[in-house]
Amino acid sequence: MSDLAPDAQRLAELLARSGLADRKAFGELYALTRSKLFAVSLRIVRERHLAEEVLQDSFVNIWNHARDYASAKSAPMTWMTAIVRNRSLDIVRRTGWEFQDEDDVMTNMLEDGSVPLDDAFGMKRDAHNVHRCMDELDAEQRQSISLAFFHGLSHSELAEHMRKPLGTVKTHIRRGLMRLKECLTHSKEQAKVGT
Amino acid sequence: MKYDQADLREALAASYVLGTLRGAARRRFVRLLSTDRSLSPLIEKWENFLTPLAARVEPIEPPERVWRAIEARIARSQPLAQPRKAGWWDSLAFWRNWGLAATGLAAALMIATIVIKPQPPADSAMVAVLSTPENVPRMIVEKHAGMLKVKVVKAWASLPENDLELWVVPKSGAPRSLGVVSHARDSEVRKGDLDNLLADGAAFAISKEPKGGSPSGAPTGPILCSGAIAKMPVRT
Repeated sequence: MSDLAPDAQRLAELLARSGLADRKAFGELYALTRSKLFAVSLRIVRERHLAEEVLQDSFVNIWNHARDYASAKSAPMTWMTAIVRNRSLDIVRRTGWEFQDEDDVMTNMLEDGSVPLDDAFGMKRDAHNVHRCMDELDAEQRQSISLAFFHGLSHSELAEHMRKPLGTVKTHIRRGLMRLKECLTHSKEQAKVGT
Repeated sequence: MKYDQADLREALAASYVLGTLRGAARRRFVRLLSTDRSLSPLIEKWENFLTPLAARVEPIEPPERVWRAIEARIARSQPLAQPRKAGWWDSLAFWRNWGLAATGLAAALMIATIVIKPQPPADSAMVAVLSTPENVPRMIVEKHAGMLKVKVVKAWASLPENDLELWVVPKSGAPRSLGVVSHARDSEVRKGDLDNLLADGAAFAISKEPKGGSPSGAPTGPILCSGAIAKMPVRT
């Protein structure tokens, strides 16, 4: 990407220097991103000690693969967030959704729509697009995709949580994703034409 | 094969990124990812679609002990050069880490033996296997009478903007340039004062430099691979 926001540019530099074993740069990279990435993981694994483990593993991974970032076609924060989310999803082993935490989930969902996008490290424009496209989905599609993305709910957990048959939930997700894809592909093309 | 259909691949990539692909199915898909290269662009596309949603997650500060644990773990790993003000070549730890370790050297000699066997160089007195920080051997440097042969174990991706420069790192002091070498083919380095340049050489290293080589005479770009020099018995 040529139009990296200054913050994204900084993160890309820090990643490049980390790839050359610059521990100071890596420390700065951690300092700038830890609270966001910790929060992303905590939403999914839901226990602090697990989220700590995820953050630790993810940053060791980032250190070892910082050089690979150069060939990635994503903003640095997107690349790092994907590592953290994958690690979170790898280790999360919930057997069932705990309904007593429903309020918690709903509060988080409210927050997800209200937190300003001012510190998004170059994900800002992409974030704007995906949120706009999310708004275009049916309420149930949006809810199931949000719960899966932010809270790591599986299909069966979603079905239980939304009190819907498994097949219905899967359909919400599948159709929602395809509509998102259309909307996002369209906004990317428009951005290209517009510039 | 089961995952051939474009729609299915797309759906799997999307649910992998979204996180609804779980358990055994997720693990199977991850295995597939490592063999099926065409899935990577799909994953990347969906990561770019969905991951920016995370921009709106309210940050939560992790405890201090997480960073201490990360530091401890990366201290044991041994990545690339320590970029210090004085230069990476001054770091003893760097060279300890880079192939002077017994295992690295043993592996180097083993590979050298395998590669060299078909044509034993009669006068090769030194050899080094240059590996990446991940311990992947990429180049081999052999000393012959009046020249060095630089063999490519695994070609580098094309570098239209850069050249690879070979350096010899003496036991003490700054690296000395041996010139630019090919990223894809075997090269030969011939220099009149080669023996002087190689005197007390401890290791070879390859750095990525601007076209034509380092403008300053010292390495400026990242070190892509390096390896300690092993003295080989001279055949007669």
